[in-house]
Amino acid sequence: MGFAMHLIGLAWHALMRNKAQTLLAMLGVMVGVGALVTSMALGRGAQEAIKDQLLAAGANMIIVNSGNYEVERAGAGGSPADHGYNPPKNSRTPHLASAPIPAFPNVRLLNAHFEDDPMAEHDHPLASERLGDNMAGLGAAATLTLEDAEAIRSEIPGIDFVASGVHENARVTLKSDPTKQWFARLHGTESDLPVIRSGWTFPYGRFLSAAQVRNAEQSMVIGRVVADRLFGAGINPVGETIVLWNQDFRIVGVVDSTSWAAQPAAGDDQFDAIYIPVTTVHSLLNLSKLNTITITTESAGETTRISKQIAEILRRRHGITEQMPDDFTVKTQAQQLLGKGLSPEVARIVAGNLESIDALTIEQLSASLQRANTTMLALLAGVATVSLLVGGIGVMNLLLLSVTQRTREVGLRMAMGARGRDIASQFVLEAIVLSVVGGLLGAAGGVLIAQSLEQVFQWSTEVSVVSMAIAIIVAAVLGIVSSVYPAHRASQLNPIGALHHE
Amino acid sequence: MSVISLQGIKKIYHLGDNTVHALRGVSLDIEDGEFVAITGPSGSGKSTMMHILGCLDSPTEGSYLLNGKNVSNLPRQELADIRNRQIGFVFQGFNLLPRTTAVENVELPLLYSRPVMSNAERNERAVAALTSMGLADRLDHHPSQLSGGQQQRVAIARALVNKPTLILADEPTGNLDSKTSIEVMRLLQELREKQGITIILITHEPEIAAYGTRIISVRDGVIISDEKNTPRNPEEDLAAITPIAAASGY
Repeated sequence: MGFAMHLIGLAWHALMRNKAQTLLAMLGVMVGVGALVTSMALGRGAQEAIKDQLLAAGANMIIVNSGNYEVERAGAGGSPADHGYNPPKNSRTPHLASAPIPAFPNVRLLNAHFEDDPMAEHDHPLASERLGDNMAGLGAAATLTLEDAEAIRSEIPGIDFVASGVHENARVTLKSDPTKQWFARLHGTESDLPVIRSGWTFPYGRFLSAAQVRNAEQSMVIGRVVADRLFGAGINPVGETIVLWNQDFRIVGVVDSTSWAAQPAAGDDQFDAIYIPVTTVHSLLNLSKLNTITITTESAGETTRISKQIAEILRRRHGITEQMPDDFTVKTQAQQLLGKGLSPEVARIVAGNLESIDALTIEQLSASLQRANTTMLALLAGVATVSLLVGGIGVMNLLLLSVTQRTREVGLRMAMGARGRDIASQFVLEAIVLSVVGGLLGAAGGVLIAQSLEQVFQWSTEVSVVSMAIAIIVAAVLGIVSSVYPAHRASQLNPIGALHHE
Repeated sequence: MSVISLQGIKKIYHLGDNTVHALRGVSLDIEDGEFVAITGPSGSGKSTMMHILGCLDSPTEGSYLLNGKNVSNLPRQELADIRNRQIGFVFQGFNLLPRTTAVENVELPLLYSRPVMSNAERNERAVAALTSMGLADRLDHHPSQLSGGQQQRVAIARALVNKPTLILADEPTGNLDSKTSIEVMRLLQELREKQGITIILITHEPEIAAYGTRIISVRDGVIISDEKNTPRNPEEDLAAITPIAAASGY
């Protein structure tokens, strides 16, 4: 080891005898390795950015709905009547008309809530009809329990977070100005939801706290679309009071999106929506079951596998035999995104026929984003390769020059007993020292360039230890490769001729 | 036993269409502890002889026994090992590495020793060799900071550092003034007398050859004379020069 260090020291010493030449050759290596590190940093940064955006858009999300719409279509379980719930046979209108209309605001509604908005068209039964029903209707049948959520949480590897929820459609009214009304999705949820929805941001206030959920408080977080409609854009509504089901709810926050892949829009499920504690929903509506369980996976590519495991667990827990259809539906966010903009029937068929649609969608989405990225990377990699090539030629040129200049030295060393391979390894070692020092400086330069690009142009870059290691290894290999020929030439010199070389 | 035994050594070079007979049959025995001066004019074959004696080149014909071992047709690698262990070279142009300290120059042969020597031992031996040459206060000087005589003493220290049996000095005084030349010859004589090292000196100057114990004259690739010699006393020669140098100094 000491001897090796000594030889490295001698190599450095020999290089420093010709500082200008050495520095010029080193500059070539620096440029090459610097370009390599920069392009790797940009490439990794772009990949990370794409991954983040996909995660923020919910590509790693799985949603389990109670009830099952597929049975009807598949026909496996027979007629819809088998589901236990018998929807009104005619049209929705008579069904809605049968619901009592709460004309008196001072009547507290504890056993049922009445979808009292005439604009509303519901495809699910009333809460009172629904209780005890465990077999029917997408999102309507209450077949899921908090215990199911706990089982999923504890039994399946690769899961990040699990949140249970109850979902309704609801009309909200501004208490201070009852003419201001809006009809939105209502989510009864838990305080962990923002962790699952990684693309969420809170321009005003914050999300429901664990204590608010525990105490079933009448607190509410509203989506940005709702906030804009009720209060106008740019107004902070935190602290205002909203009336829902004739109950007062205090606004604690507004939720907005950080991802370009999921922008708030009227009618969407996340931002044209209001959030209140699931416990509050349970107590006000006298419910104990869940409509959904929302799960995030650690990796977007695993949603298909984990979806299957969730289905297995729930079938087991619900005592569903092979002949019976599921009483729940496992969907990935990708399927939901895909279904958007299509008529419900078409969306259902697409989602039902393509089991691995989520994987396809994620891959396709990533692919189209990464195609652009790859073009840029290919360009940078091309620059890096050419720079490395030029750097390597520079090193080789320096060494050939050095062999010529130091022919007498080679002859002397041979006279002193240096074998051909001692001479060759001396030149190779000098090239490695030159290239690795150049490579280290180049890598440091590359990091600086990457960071400046990030700061000046807001490009996302990521310098990893691996890319630094690759840069150093590439530099060393460059040194070895470009020194083979000069070193071989030096080792083949005739000692007498070399000694008398002028 | 002879340190060196040459039998019918011939060396033929082919330079283009010309065939050069550099050595035309040289036979020679050199005993342990001799100080042999080989003289001859340019083109006489003395340099070729030195290359073969120094295992830098192999003869076309004939046999060369070095310390009893036939080295006439060894591969390059083995010749390199023999040079490293048994032969110390001193050259006319000193051949020190520029911008490299005296110690590092002297360490050079030790870098190629097998088995590998520790850094500390290498340094220790180099310092000892330089000290024996009276250069203890010049260890970290670069060649450019040393006089010609000092540089040649560094070169001699380098030749000695691996404890060779044989020192080959090729025109060692060619670049030195007469006083320094005599001092170098005194050093070589001392090495022979005190350490019993065999010395072969190649020179075209008869007065330098006269410091040897045996003078061999070469011409046209053959030995034309081989005589015992009573070596000149360098002290007397120095004494003869010094008053003049001293006078010019004042």
